[in-house]
Amino acid sequence: MSVLINKDTKVIVQGITGGMGKTHAALMQKYGTKIVGGVTPGKGGQEINGVPVFDSVTEAKQKTGANCSVIFVPPYLALDAALEAIDAEIPLISVITEGMVPQDAVKLHARAKAKGVLVNGPNCPGIITPGECLIGIHPGSIYMPGRIGLISRSGTLTYEIGLGLKQAGIGISTAVGIGGDPIIGIDQIKSLELFEADKDTDLIILVGEIGGTAEEDAAEYIKAKIKKPVIGYIAGRTAPPGKRMGHAGAIISGNKGTAESKTKAFEAAGVQVAKTPSEIIELVKKRIAVAA
Amino acid sequence: MRLREYEAKQLFKESGISIPPGMVIKCAEEVFGIKNFPCTLKTQVLTGGRGKAGGIKFADNANDAYAKAQDIFKLKVKGDLPTAILVEPKVTIKKELYVSILIDRAYRGPIIMASAEGGVEIESSNSIQIVPIPEGNYSSYLGRKMATQLGLSGADVLKFGDIVNKLWNVYTKFDCDLVEINPLIVDGDNNYVALDGKVTINEDALGRQPRFDGMLSEHLTDLGEREFKGKMCGLNIVELEGNIGILCNGAGLTMATMDLVFHHGGKPSNFLDVGGGASKDHVARALDLVASSETVKVLLVNILGGITDCVEVANALKYYKDIRPEAKMVVRLVGNNEAAAADVMKAAGIETTNILDDAVSKAVAIAG
Repeated sequence: MSVLINKDTKVIVQGITGGMGKTHAALMQKYGTKIVGGVTPGKGGQEINGVPVFDSVTEAKQKTGANCSVIFVPPYLALDAALEAIDAEIPLISVITEGMVPQDAVKLHARAKAKGVLVNGPNCPGIITPGECLIGIHPGSIYMPGRIGLISRSGTLTYEIGLGLKQAGIGISTAVGIGGDPIIGIDQIKSLELFEADKDTDLIILVGEIGGTAEEDAAEYIKAKIKKPVIGYIAGRTAPPGKRMGHAGAIISGNKGTAESKTKAFEAAGVQVAKTPSEIIELVKKRIAVAA
Repeated sequence: MRLREYEAKQLFKESGISIPPGMVIKCAEEVFGIKNFPCTLKTQVLTGGRGKAGGIKFADNANDAYAKAQDIFKLKVKGDLPTAILVEPKVTIKKELYVSILIDRAYRGPIIMASAEGGVEIESSNSIQIVPIPEGNYSSYLGRKMATQLGLSGADVLKFGDIVNKLWNVYTKFDCDLVEINPLIVDGDNNYVALDGKVTINEDALGRQPRFDGMLSEHLTDLGEREFKGKMCGLNIVELEGNIGILCNGAGLTMATMDLVFHHGGKPSNFLDVGGGASKDHVARALDLVASSETVKVLLVNILGGITDCVEVANALKYYKDIRPEAKMVVRLVGNNEAAAADVMKAAGIETTNILDDAVSKAVAIAG
């Protein structure tokens, strides 16, 4: 078991004929993901990496039975692509696209909520259930299957922790890269809820970063609803205030969004907080040893 | 991209929001064209606190205005020197309010924020009222709702609501992150007038907002030289005061690497997030930028390739080693295509390490 995706997930790639879409469709296929088709309006009838290309998501869904879409289209077309997937009632959509305009993201998430569709992203690495299914751009070889749930705002930091765990012989159930933008779909709280309910996840790692109040909100949720142990980490403890740290979401404004505030909130919720990425692995090892 | 007051007000005016009849001057001598006295001279800088810094002055006649304009053109506000002054006739103020529209992260959508007390210290005010815009679908009643929350009644509800309607139009038409009127005043004739304005255009939207073509560079006055150069070629660099140059991909990993440098007792000179899917040339420009600071003693490169192809990075490092053989580098390069990248690195004679803590402590040791 796992959350969100597994070996039976049937995936279409929107933007499969573009550079990124084509490259990563091939990498996902190589990993073992069931890529059943692609969508690029105007290019229906072609074949890419051995899978059919369709003109519309509706057609792709009818002909392939897809239940997940990964979006690799340029930022100004991403809203339209995602709305099309929502309209076709694809239940899980991952928007990898970086640089989506926040007002577009608002429209996307409002529609997704109204239709009960889960949207991962935008500006995220996607989701991986090691050994079963990869959607997005995670380097698959960095993870091994296991019983740790991983939630992260940062793509590459997710890889860092996946790799550290693998080097320690520890695997994960699913890694959810929720994305670093201010407006995202599946967030920390939704991911926590999914991992809490997953019988094959024993422990959750929550990787946050400075900016916003998502970690503080997640801490409240953990206190109230999460029984599984959670290990936390906050990137940007030494970030200078007022500077945007790459992600549009990662900025300390005034006294809001600081690592101190997030660490305090985590600790108050019983979350062990690691100071460095390698300390996360140490804390996980200790937890596993105690449980054994 | 934050706009200057006069630029913001131009957008307001085009959307039907009343603004004082102003005049933008680019040199002090232009004050001799002013027709209405007394007038207000306001420095057009992009930082806050300009009033306290002496950037807003009143003048009773042309000679007075001339002297004050000369002073203002010489006055730096938090390092920002004005290229323009906005001159407006002094207005009668019966009442000052505050109103803005912005995206609220927690609410995942736009909200209207307003206060019946306009003025400078709005952030610390506890009189702020909030009206969320459901699903981002604005309707006029929301502006009126805010008006009643502020205690307005009768014709004022309609007048205030009308301002919010028009502000919403600016917000959506130009892909703004923020539109703000502070203060929004009620003048002697009971008209609502935007006395000051703040508009921030979302930078990711600039590619579809042709009105602002080519304007970004002159609106980045708060950036240092290297930060500015980086921004112009799509590289996000932040300057600090140490001696280790950090190059990573992804904001979270970049911050984690910076935190780790401090944790191991080192100090970063700068750090740069090369972003996702970087090509060889892009990474090479990034290396140049990080190393161009004189304080950098060692380059710490930490790349985890997902959307980024490790071979592109390896080729950039090889190129860099060829042109700067003396440069000290500590490299960690793992992820997509890492085996092929390792071959390139080996051929180029660049050592790599797989463990992040090892890479950081090595860089800290070299930096001394």
